[in-house]
Amino acid sequence: MTTTTFSSETYTLTVGALTRELPLVRPTPNRKLPLVEFLGDTELSQAAALEVQKLLPDGTDVLFTCETSSIPLVHALSVITGLPYEVARKRRRPYMNDPLIQDVASMTLGVGETLWLDTRHADKLRGKRVTVVLDVVSSGGTIAALERLIARSGGTAHGRVAAFSQGQPKLVIRVMQELPIFER
Amino acid sequence: MFSPQALDSSRCGVESIHVKTHLVTIGAVSRQLPIIEVAPGVSVALLNLLGDTDLTEEAGRLLAALLPPETDVLVTPEVKAVPLAHVISRITGKPYIVARKTEKPYMSAPISREVISITTGKPQLLVVDGFDVPKIRGHNVAIIDDVVSTGGTLRSLSALMTEIGGHVCGTLAVFTEGDERSDVIALGHLPLYLK
Repeated sequence: MTTTTFSSETYTLTVGALTRELPLVRPTPNRKLPLVEFLGDTELSQAAALEVQKLLPDGTDVLFTCETSSIPLVHALSVITGLPYEVARKRRRPYMNDPLIQDVASMTLGVGETLWLDTRHADKLRGKRVTVVLDVVSSGGTIAALERLIARSGGTAHGRVAAFSQGQPKLVIRVMQELPIFER
Repeated sequence: MFSPQALDSSRCGVESIHVKTHLVTIGAVSRQLPIIEVAPGVSVALLNLLGDTDLTEEAGRLLAALLPPETDVLVTPEVKAVPLAHVISRITGKPYIVARKTEKPYMSAPISREVISITTGKPQLLVVDGFDVPKIRGHNVAIIDDVVSTGGTLRSLSALMTEIGGHVCGTLAVFTEGDERSDVIALGHLPLYLK
C-alpha cells in the first residue's frame, strides 16, 4: 500500500470558464502531482464534457469507459452528443452472464487490474465504431485493455480520448489538457 | 399502441429466448429489464443506469423535483447510481459525494463502514474521503441510489452519515424492490423473485 502525503500547495486548473485549485499529492517522496476528480464535481464534469466533445473522432457510434471516476464525464458527453456509452466494470457482479474478462497491464502502483464486460453490454459494441473515453490517462494501459475488450466484443476501436494526461502514455491519445508531474 | 396507463402496469416479456423481462416505465421512458438470478433461488429485475443515458436523465429529472428542499448535499454509493446523482446535482445545483467501495491511497483520513449488498452477497465497504466530511457534518444529506432492496446499503450509508455528523433528510431511489417501503422516495417498485 502506497502512502500518499499532501502538500499545502495547489495547482490551478482551468477548463472553459471554470477554475479549480487541485490538491497536490505525493505518491512517492520525490514526486508531486495534482489530483483531479470528476466524481462529485458536476460543474467540472459538464465543462470538461463540452471540451472533450470537440476531440471525438467523426463516425463514433458508441463511447466506452471503465468505472468509476470517468462515469460523470462520459454521461455528460453522452447527453451532449446523443451517443450511447458502455462501462467496463472492475469487479465481477453476480448478475453477469459469461462476461469478457480482461487483465490490465497497469503501471499505476504496479498492481494489476481486471476489467469485466457482461455479455449483454459486449453485444452493444459488436459491429460498432467505439471510442474510448477516460478522465485521466497515465501509462495508457487501461486504454489498451479497453481496446482489447472492444475487439473481443466484435467492435472496432475507433478513437482514444481523455480529459487529462498525466505522464507519458505509450499510445496516441487525443487529450483536452496535460497535467504536470512535479519532481521534488 | 400502448396508453400511458397500460405502460404503467407491470408486465412480463421476453428479452431473448432465454431471458424473461419485466417492463418498467419512468416518465416517458420504458425498459424491459432482464430478470436475472443473483443468488440461488433469488432473481431480480436488473436495472442498469450505467450506459442508459435516457433513463438516467428522466429518472434524475423526476427525482430532482421530489428532493426535500432543505437538502444541502447528495450522497450516493459507488457505482451504479453515480450518473443519477450527477443529473440530480446538475438540475438542482446541490453538490454530491460518492461513498467509494475501497479506500484510495490519495484519500485524507477516510471514514468507512461495512455493508452487505443483495447483488454482491459479500461484505463490502462504504468509504467517505476525509475531504468530504465538512460537506456532510452539520448538513442535511439526501441519499441517492438506483434500487433500494433489503436496505443494507441504505442502513450502512445512513449510519455513516450520522456518524460523520450529517442529518439524513431523505432517501431517493429509482425503484424500491421486494417490500414496499415508506422511508424511500421512489419512482416505482420492482418485485423480488423468490423460489
